[in-house]
Amino acid sequence: MEEALALVVGVLGGAGVWLVLRPRTFQVIMGLTLLSYAVNLFIFSMGSLLLDSPPIVAEGLPPDLEHYTDPMPQSLVLTAIVIGFATTALFLVVLLASRGLSGTDHVDGREES
Amino acid sequence: MKALLPHLVLAPILLPLVTAAVLLLLGDRRRRIKSLLNLVSTLAGLVVAVAMLLRVDAGGEIGVYLAANWEAPFGIVLVADRLTALLLVLVGVVGLCAALYAEAAWAKVSVFFHPLFQIQLMGLNGAFLTGDLFNLFVFFEVMLAASYGLQLHGTGWPRVRSGLHYIAVNLLASSLFLVGLAVLYGVLGTLNMADVAEKIPLVPERDRGLMHAGAAILSVAFLIKAAIWPLNAWLVPAYRAASAPVAALFALMTKVGFYAVLRLWTLLFSAGAGASAGFGGPVLLWGGLATIAFATVGLTASLRLGRIAGFAILLSSGTLFAALGVGKVEVTSAALYYLLSATMAVSALFLLVELVERIGNKGEELPGVEPLPAEDINLDDEELPLVGRAIPISLAVLGLAYMAAAILVAGLPPLSGFVAKFSILDAVVSSEGQGISSTGWLLLTALLLSGLAATVALAKAGIRHFWASGGRFVPQLKSVEVIAVLTLVFCCIGLTLFAEPVMRYTSAAAQSLYEPRAYIDTVLSMKALPRMEESP
Amino acid sequence: MSLFVLLLLPFLGSVVTALLPTRARTALAGCAGLVSTVAAVWLLGLFPQVRDGGVVRASLPWLPSHGLDLVIRIDGLAWMFGVLVTVIGALVALYARYYMSPEDPVGRFFAFFLAFLGAMLGVVLSGNLIQLVVFWELTSLVSFLLIGYWHHRKDAQRGARMSLTVTGAGGLALLAGVIVLGHAAGSYELDAILAAGDRIQASPLYPAALVLIVIGALTKSAQFPFHFWLPRAMAAPTPVSAYLHSATMVKAGVFLLARLWPVLAGTELWFWVVGGAGMSTLLLGAYAAMFQYDLKRVLAYSTVSHLGLITLLFGLNSKLAAVAGVFHIMNHATFKASLFMAVGVVDHETGTRDVRRLSGLLRAMPYTGTLAMVASGAMAGVPLLNGFLSKEMFFAETVFITGNPWVEIGLPVLATLASLFAVVYSLRFGYGIFFGPPSTDLPRQPHEAPRWMRIPIEVLVMSCLVVGIAPSVSVGPSLAAAARPVVGGVLPAYSLAIWHGFNLPLAMSFVAIVGGVFAYRWLCRQQARGRFDDTPLLSRFSGRRLFESGLVLVTRLSRQALTVLSTRRLQMQMFLIVVVALGLALLASRGVPFSWGERARLPASPPFVLLWVIGAVCAVGAAFNAKYHRLIAITLMGGAGLVVCVTFVWFSAPDLALTQIVVEVVTTTLFLLGLRWLPMRREELRERVTLRQRVRRGRDLVLAVAAGSGLAALSYALLTRPAPQSISPFFLDRALPEGGGANVVNVMLVDFRAFDTLGEITVLCAVALTVYALLRRFRPPAEAMDLPEQQRVLPPDVVTDLVKPDTADEVRGYMMVPGVITRLLLPVVVLVAVHFFLRGHNQPGGGFVAGIVVAIGMLMQYIASGTYWVEGRTNIHPVRWMGYGLLAAVATGLGAIAIGYPFLTSHTAHLTLPIVGEVHFPSATFFDLGVFAVVVGAVLLILTALSHQSLRAHHHHPAQTAAGAQKSRRAG
Repeated sequence: MEEALALVVGVLGGAGVWLVLRPRTFQVIMGLTLLSYAVNLFIFSMGSLLLDSPPIVAEGLPPDLEHYTDPMPQSLVLTAIVIGFATTALFLVVLLASRGLSGTDHVDGREES
Repeated sequence: MKALLPHLVLAPILLPLVTAAVLLLLGDRRRRIKSLLNLVSTLAGLVVAVAMLLRVDAGGEIGVYLAANWEAPFGIVLVADRLTALLLVLVGVVGLCAALYAEAAWAKVSVFFHPLFQIQLMGLNGAFLTGDLFNLFVFFEVMLAASYGLQLHGTGWPRVRSGLHYIAVNLLASSLFLVGLAVLYGVLGTLNMADVAEKIPLVPERDRGLMHAGAAILSVAFLIKAAIWPLNAWLVPAYRAASAPVAALFALMTKVGFYAVLRLWTLLFSAGAGASAGFGGPVLLWGGLATIAFATVGLTASLRLGRIAGFAILLSSGTLFAALGVGKVEVTSAALYYLLSATMAVSALFLLVELVERIGNKGEELPGVEPLPAEDINLDDEELPLVGRAIPISLAVLGLAYMAAAILVAGLPPLSGFVAKFSILDAVVSSEGQGISSTGWLLLTALLLSGLAATVALAKAGIRHFWASGGRFVPQLKSVEVIAVLTLVFCCIGLTLFAEPVMRYTSAAAQSLYEPRAYIDTVLSMKALPRMEESP
Repeated sequence: MSLFVLLLLPFLGSVVTALLPTRARTALAGCAGLVSTVAAVWLLGLFPQVRDGGVVRASLPWLPSHGLDLVIRIDGLAWMFGVLVTVIGALVALYARYYMSPEDPVGRFFAFFLAFLGAMLGVVLSGNLIQLVVFWELTSLVSFLLIGYWHHRKDAQRGARMSLTVTGAGGLALLAGVIVLGHAAGSYELDAILAAGDRIQASPLYPAALVLIVIGALTKSAQFPFHFWLPRAMAAPTPVSAYLHSATMVKAGVFLLARLWPVLAGTELWFWVVGGAGMSTLLLGAYAAMFQYDLKRVLAYSTVSHLGLITLLFGLNSKLAAVAGVFHIMNHATFKASLFMAVGVVDHETGTRDVRRLSGLLRAMPYTGTLAMVASGAMAGVPLLNGFLSKEMFFAETVFITGNPWVEIGLPVLATLASLFAVVYSLRFGYGIFFGPPSTDLPRQPHEAPRWMRIPIEVLVMSCLVVGIAPSVSVGPSLAAAARPVVGGVLPAYSLAIWHGFNLPLAMSFVAIVGGVFAYRWLCRQQARGRFDDTPLLSRFSGRRLFESGLVLVTRLSRQALTVLSTRRLQMQMFLIVVVALGLALLASRGVPFSWGERARLPASPPFVLLWVIGAVCAVGAAFNAKYHRLIAITLMGGAGLVVCVTFVWFSAPDLALTQIVVEVVTTTLFLLGLRWLPMRREELRERVTLRQRVRRGRDLVLAVAAGSGLAALSYALLTRPAPQSISPFFLDRALPEGGGANVVNVMLVDFRAFDTLGEITVLCAVALTVYALLRRFRPPAEAMDLPEQQRVLPPDVVTDLVKPDTADEVRGYMMVPGVITRLLLPVVVLVAVHFFLRGHNQPGGGFVAGIVVAIGMLMQYIASGTYWVEGRTNIHPVRWMGYGLLAAVATGLGAIAIGYPFLTSHTAHLTLPIVGEVHFPSATFFDLGVFAVVVGAVLLILTALSHQSLRAHHHHPAQTAAGAQKSRRAG
């Protein structure tokens, strides 16, 4: 299971990096989104992986990381998701503006000669 | 009032936030009130910061604030020590001047300038205050989100183009920030800076590599913010494109990157950090030197004042990192003094760029490289009559301000720029025994050569703008603009005159940075208030 | 203390003159003259205290922690220089009053003049080397401003810049040298350094310090190879040339040599560096001076050569020579200043300074002529004039020097030669322009200068004569006082007599003078034939041209370097960032034992693996379709997002899953709204891929794979570590009793880490505002401005942005059914939101999710019924929502403060309501309410701002014609 998750993080991250290095603004924003997925999973994977033991306090369970997943990474990811959403939206608009002003969707605002 | 005193630490974050919210509710009209509110709140922020500085300096005790009343390491703590208070004051001064200047024209150019400005201030103050790694990330994002808006303020192609790069780079940096942070949490199981510092010596040998990797990735995020070569190609276009007051405010942002490195490096990898002590020092030193070299090249290559100012920022952060990389208390304390002087000087320069470019010779296209002038026998009967040109008062004021800013940026005597540079060099040299190490020589050469490059570049630009136009064009200046610039200049003059007390303060700050015990203990020993028993 | 008043006086005067009316020449000159006179008298009054090696001190702390204090230290040398500076300053002020033209706004001139006076005093009187450097650089700056006084002239601009660059660079070298010296001596105080001579010469740092300091001195005193800036500085007004560039500022360099003579002199290195520079400058300067046409240039080069003479004297490592050097400093100052003033008069009266055009002026201006001739006699070293005495001493030194034969023979010969040159250019000046046929073609009719303009010249020439005739009575005591500290306290035996009997030095003088006369005659004849118009041999490589082209070259190089070291391309920047991050991470973890952990793994479950095969396919697919098939890319991206979401559920993180899915929806909608404005790109007409692109792609692929595997490795390493001593159990423990909620994650968001959430909603606000402000100025690309085909077939009176409504009533299109459904759904959506919000504290949910859900509900209305319709029937002010939301969140926090608790402290009230029964009501709910409001406001602001862009098309084309439609159809 851990192998699978680690691999997933790797694949998402790799794809994201590849896209971020591409010349089209749309590719870059896709890449940033993929990267944020990867990063969120990465943060999440810092806590212990437990099946069906959500951090919702139930009667009689000792409050430790054997019976609950680590709530800390989850709250971090939650904040990260929101901030990621906001910045993605912003970047989208900026790339539209750039496209509108320059007439091209190249990240440098002009096709390379 | 007395009851609110403990909450003083919180004020620098809350004040701008509330102001921003109120500004949002004020709606599109009521320009005057909004401008006034913006100025007053910024001024209040400065006052609060000064109060905090006096308080911290008086007892030397560190102010700790437990947000939501959860003690460290569980809750989020705000920590105000000497360093933080100093930087808050700096933010107050520069912010106030930028706000003043903006009132002349820029604030009206586009909607939502004021709230974004306040949110930016909140982000800066928060980043300096917080004692929690993830909270630091959040405040970085606040600061950046606002800065995106301000950088694009007024749009136009150059802004959008450089803004696109600026945002893309910073988004990538943010994900690096998160990765590094996560690794640190994964290894140490905590996010509170003091607690992290506490746990680092206890890291088992087999996890140390991971922890270092995490710290390295985290540091890259900061190095990007601080514009260390080769991660700084975004800065000059973005700052040059930004409107003058915004660029002046941005001079602070590279300092946030420096602050984060300074704080975390001294805290986490202090002498007490066991096997990790002094980790990464060489990278800081060489990165700093490389940045200085790069900035020197840039200064030599540029003719346009805006670009010169941009490279001046790079120069300042390179100098700071090189000085920090030396890893000695005295050098760091001198570097802190340099930080004050350099930041205000560059902000003043950024404000001046716009004013100076109002002086005539617009549209005149600059040659790629100035041609080699012909040999001239100046027999006066062949020249214009030997009569000077009267210089109008506004131009004279502008010229003096420009000279002061140039002298400050280039680190020429007699102003604080020189004092700062000299004290860094003196500290570096005298901290060594007999003779001078190669590092010492390198720093000496780097600082002096970069200063020369700045002098030449600024003199070139000054001659072109002030003399070549022959004082024929009289720039239209608004009083607020002049006041803003002069305030910054006079602050630097104050720094020069009161170099000794300021230096005493900075050395105390540096001292406590290099002996983080007090910081750690104060933060971790701060007790939460007893929770009130639940109401029936 | 009072001594600081002396130092401050000129600067105060400078401020005053700056404030005086700028055309009041007399008042301004009077002020300047007064200040310098007062200072001069003051200094003269100090003579008794310094005459026998006494030292007057005063000090003021500035930066003691770094050994930088303001120290005034007046010994004989400082006193002599101080007097020189102030007295000549007074004379120049008087002279300038008449020299500057009446319509010249001279306020600035005199302000700078006084500032320079102060700076120069600071240099000579300072008892701390760093302070000396400070004033040193100040003189460079003021000299820059004074050279550029006539700033509209190109030559003034260039001369000013060159002098600033050269002397400024020298100043930096000096600073470095002083820091090194101070390190070797253990202090920057002059007294301490003068005391530590032996220690310094023993120290390994001595050579470095020596070379750096000497560079500083040579640049300032215009010594070879830095001599070229001085002739260019002649663009300054003549009083400035007389004052700064002959009498005082250029003497600062030799002053420094004299100042540090006891410490640095006496070594081989010193002899070769200083002496060598001095000798070559002496010769070159004199040689070049012979061929100049511009009178000021003649004097400039002669100044260079005389400074070379002084430098050489200090370089000879002999006390007697040092005394001679000090003596010559005084003499040169007097006669050179008077000569410059005379040139000024000539220039002023005739309107030209060209030697070739001037001749026979004696008839027109006998008075000035005589003075000028006497002065040039002194310059040439004619007996009975002061120049003669110091020159004799110099000759004597060259004769008696002991060293290797080359030096012993070469030095006297070269000295004689240089002095011969001096005679030649002195004749050119003193004889050439005053005798011979009176020139006719002068711009102005020459006549005698005004009375008061001649006074300063007279005073100076008088002193030349007096010193020359009766040296020991006139100048003896002050020379002794000035020379004593230079040679370290004990003066060598010397006599200031005019006549030492027939000896070698006398013979050398004789050779020089006679030979000079003949050489002058010969040169005149040659030039009459039009030869030697330019300096022979040297004209080819002038220092100035080397310097200028050097600057240009440096600029060029740095530009090329910049293109290599920096980039304007985003891809390169991103690449560097990833590379650096990867590199540093590897570097950091190198050398430390690294192994996978051994925590018990979870058993792999096939469905999860399968799920993630899909997820990976989606991700990679999105990566490879993002260029040509954006829609597919977005879809696949959504797929990946969903899989992430399922993963969260799988590993028991319901809150994350919930948030992820709602955010997913909104993000996708945003992308879809944005798609319209991006350029159409068809795979079939993709441009050929060049090799360079291939290589780049390969490189990026490698990097991407590396980064991915790095990330995977990190996460695997951490996944398999046993859980560290985490702080999390604390939260699990306290959430319910003290946080008042069972859902720990939510409690963390609104209580434990509420501060983060506060920042997070602020980010949302900032972004929303930015998006709105940006889109207000949005200019869509031209081809995207055309209406979609369906809308072109509308009757012109119908206004809607809906796609393909059949008839006038916009909602009766095929969007009618969804429109109705969404409207019916809205209340349900709100209900769901309320549900999520209320249960948030104990079950997955919370303000953020609720907010997004509501936003989605509204969004559906926009999509299904069109912007006009929605905004016609609703009245939402997203910005206000954001404002109130922020205030609510902050107010909750402040509430805690009000009852004496820290900001954002949560407090749970347990109520028992009639029907519902017991209810836990944490104050954090209000905070969550704020979050809710902000989210609704921000998301709506962004989405509406984006959707409004589609309306621009309508404002752009009120009603589209069929022709336009066809055009755009072809374009599509």
